Amino acid sequence: MKPLTPQRIARICGLLAVILFAAMVVSLRMGTYPISVRDIVLTLFRGAIGHRDAVPSEFWLVVFGLRLPRIALGILVGASLAVAGAGFQALLRNPLADPYVLGVSSGAALGAILSLLAAPHVPGAIQLASFLGAAVTIAVVFFLGLRGGHLDSPTLLLAGIMAASFLSAVIMLLMAMLPGRDLHGVLFWLMGDLTTSPPTTRVPAWFAFLFTIFFLSAGAMYTTATDLNLILSGEQEARHLGVNVNRVKLVVYVAASVLTGLAVSVSGAIGFVGLLIPHAMRMMFGTDYRLLLPTSALGGAIAIVLADTIGRTVLAPTELPVGAITALAGAPVFIYLLRRRMR
Amino acid sequence: MSGELERGRTGLGATTAVAEPPRIKVEQASYAYAATDRTAPTFTLGPATFEAAAREIVAILGPNASGKSTLLKMMAGLIDPLSGRVELDGQEVSKLDPRTRAQRIALVAQESELLFPLRVWEYVLQGRYPYGKRLRFESDEDCLMAGNALAQVGADAVRDRWMDSLSGGEKQRVILARALAQHPSLLLLDEPTQHLDIGGKVELLRRLQKLARESKYTVIVVTHELNLAAEFSDRIVLLHKGKPLRAGTPAEVYQREVLEEVFEAPLDVELRVNGRPRVMLRGIR
Amino acid sequence: MKRGRGVRAFAWGAAALMISAAALPARGGVIPAAAEPSAQAGKVAPETREVTDELGRRVRVPLEAKRVVSLAPSLTETIYALGLEDKLAGDTSYCDTPAAAKSKPHVGTPEAPNLEAIVALHPDLVLMAPINSYEAMNAIARLGIPVYGTEPRTVREMLSSTERIAELMGAAEHGKEMVAKLQGDLDALEVRLENLPPAHVLFVVWEDPLITIGQNTFIADALRWAGAETVIESDEDYPRIGMEEVVRVQPDWIVLSQDHMKDEDTSAAELRTRPVWKDLRAVELGQVTTASDDMERPSPEMVTAIEELARKLHPEAFAGGAGGKTGSGKTSAAGTSEAQR
Repeated sequence: MKPLTPQRIARICGLLAVILFAAMVVSLRMGTYPISVRDIVLTLFRGAIGHRDAVPSEFWLVVFGLRLPRIALGILVGASLAVAGAGFQALLRNPLADPYVLGVSSGAALGAILSLLAAPHVPGAIQLASFLGAAVTIAVVFFLGLRGGHLDSPTLLLAGIMAASFLSAVIMLLMAMLPGRDLHGVLFWLMGDLTTSPPTTRVPAWFAFLFTIFFLSAGAMYTTATDLNLILSGEQEARHLGVNVNRVKLVVYVAASVLTGLAVSVSGAIGFVGLLIPHAMRMMFGTDYRLLLPTSALGGAIAIVLADTIGRTVLAPTELPVGAITALAGAPVFIYLLRRRMR
Repeated sequence: MSGELERGRTGLGATTAVAEPPRIKVEQASYAYAATDRTAPTFTLGPATFEAAAREIVAILGPNASGKSTLLKMMAGLIDPLSGRVELDGQEVSKLDPRTRAQRIALVAQESELLFPLRVWEYVLQGRYPYGKRLRFESDEDCLMAGNALAQVGADAVRDRWMDSLSGGEKQRVILARALAQHPSLLLLDEPTQHLDIGGKVELLRRLQKLARESKYTVIVVTHELNLAAEFSDRIVLLHKGKPLRAGTPAEVYQREVLEEVFEAPLDVELRVNGRPRVMLRGIR
Repeated sequence: MKRGRGVRAFAWGAAALMISAAALPARGGVIPAAAEPSAQAGKVAPETREVTDELGRRVRVPLEAKRVVSLAPSLTETIYALGLEDKLAGDTSYCDTPAAAKSKPHVGTPEAPNLEAIVALHPDLVLMAPINSYEAMNAIARLGIPVYGTEPRTVREMLSSTERIAELMGAAEHGKEMVAKLQGDLDALEVRLENLPPAHVLFVVWEDPLITIGQNTFIADALRWAGAETVIESDEDYPRIGMEEVVRVQPDWIVLSQDHMKDEDTSAAELRTRPVWKDLRAVELGQVTTASDDMERPSPEMVTAIEELARKLHPEAFAGGAGGKTGSGKTSAAGTSEAQR
């Protein structure tokens, strides 16, 4: 009998953090602009100690203006989606659940399209509008998913699927009305795209803001990790053991939805990560949510950073959208996981 | 036949309970709820009054839809009685906070519906949840208690196996072990023998009896197995259409006319040498 | 636990592999290593001036742009037409006319330009067209690179765009000359077609689903110059219509957007075999033609394309011999319609 200890969590997360770091290194190195590893390291170092003038302006631009923000965004989005996916799988008692099954991404996309129709060039409008779209969808699906005053998993799932379908239909309708120029942009974004630049020039502050939201939501979900383990063994039994099931469901629902809305509003709907990373982490490290949540976050970050790097380099200078890479890689992985479950 | 009930104590047989002060007291507890089908009448339970002490096994008997599970839920604190009270060790059960209640009362599940694979020891350890903070890591004491629980049900050998690789009987024992890991005073079981074969049924009830006697649990079992209840329980509460009809030792409760009326079947009652009754179908004429 | 050990080994292996991959020398990319950036860091900032682009944005551009990146095929064509291709540092992978444009360094597609590739070319001006997205425009601008957006909605606006581009690139005189000439050609064409009723044309962007152009598009304006009018009334740019509408309006001519797989004769013959299409008056009369790519691109080459289309639609206006046609070496498929008349 070897129960999970904080030390084991730290060890495994440390290992994954090392891999993430390696992925970041690779990603920093890849790109169409010819800059050597030595110059990258020098730029980073000089940036860290504040010697910006010693760095050629283009190097600074490429490292701090293009590559690092993209990597940071990839980490944020990958971690958010994977944690949200793990949460939804527990909440909906369905291993096939992904962050988009409750319609949050469709709501966010609708918000984005509406903002493109109404205020196409306002910086930050598309992110704000898509987050609002996500928020409204979350609230509506929540109320639809209530039964007898608390969240009922099957009802919630049905409500979410209905909302997703309806919103998708509205989106298709609107897309026929968009002028050609913006349509391309939306399509790219719907597929998942890490190239959207921050709506402000204060980039570090922007990322600090985003990561704060991430840590608050993921942290909130983590406080229910033990409860989730019990709920997964049976909801009624968990109640008998003293778990406040309704409260846990509410917290997980809100946290996972916020994480999904966060990811989708900055990068569109990148698929497969939220579904597969939790399963992959389960297969490697077990189903205990106290370990699964942090490993999913790290695993998701690694996956997105690698996928984006591949998308940027395989057909350079054409950039493949990161959502396409995750789908291409994800489908065979998914089939593999399915077959393992069968056995 | 409703109204005041008889209480009694067994005085026969080697497997009788030692006299102890009552631990759980149900006093005039009643409940009512509307069925989901609007045309059906409201179902009322009670008022019921009975007691059970430590080391006792009490069986709640009755035909289907007689209110057995509702009564059990009231005793578990899952629903509040509309009138009357249920007390455990002097405290009203419905007023306890969920964690404390989970430390005193364990409701044993019938089946486990696991979504993801889980090892037996992980499953049993979950029973330690009521002790400690919400986000917690299991302590050595938790592991000790879980280990004891597994030993008490004789499932130590399967400790490292996956839950979904267990047989029906093994799984039942593990579920029981999880309840025992809660270290409760009161053990409630709702039709635990449903999915077991006759050997499994006997084994389970024997184990429950042993737990009650040796580890001082109070065990309350809801069942409709007349003979098993008669054989293994110290006292029986017989419910009929929501009304507790009789309470007492098996011999006292199993009167032919009473049983025939409750179960609506031609029955014969035979008293055996060990003082326990046996119920049989009368020959069809 | 066996599972854990295997995982750990795999993970360390993966990390090691990745870090060693990062240490490999840079792969030769499409971008040739331009002048060393450190050399440029010491240079004095070139003199700049402020202009307003066609989207109303204030942009700080160099007095004379020497390294321009074009993010649209129409802009690339314009630069070549102006003879300023030496100053074109890079274009998109879609820029295929003229053929020489294909060998310029590519920076991605018009919809998704690769920012790093753009930076690597050290441009002092980036030109953008309506097919580019605002997102990309803002992203490039945020990198500190001057971005000039064009938005020609009519042929005349395209000509003034051309003039402005020439001016930005230090060839103002030449630009004015060329535009004046093209404008003259257009005016002459207008005179020729003066008394003729416009041909009612269905411009087919895509056949299945049937997509045509709206009244407010660039192509509609070009058609007007060619003596034609799109029969479909719509405010959308690329409305999708049903065949019923086509049957109702019965256009005089069907103009197909150029398909690089088939030549004009094949396209026309194909329509004759299609149900519903074959019964259209225009198809029966053989009044089907293709418009060259240039009709859809707001660049100076378009004027030639307009003239060619005008010739097909109104041959009687050109009966008096060759008019003031600008020679640009462009060939188009000969129309079978003339032989059939």
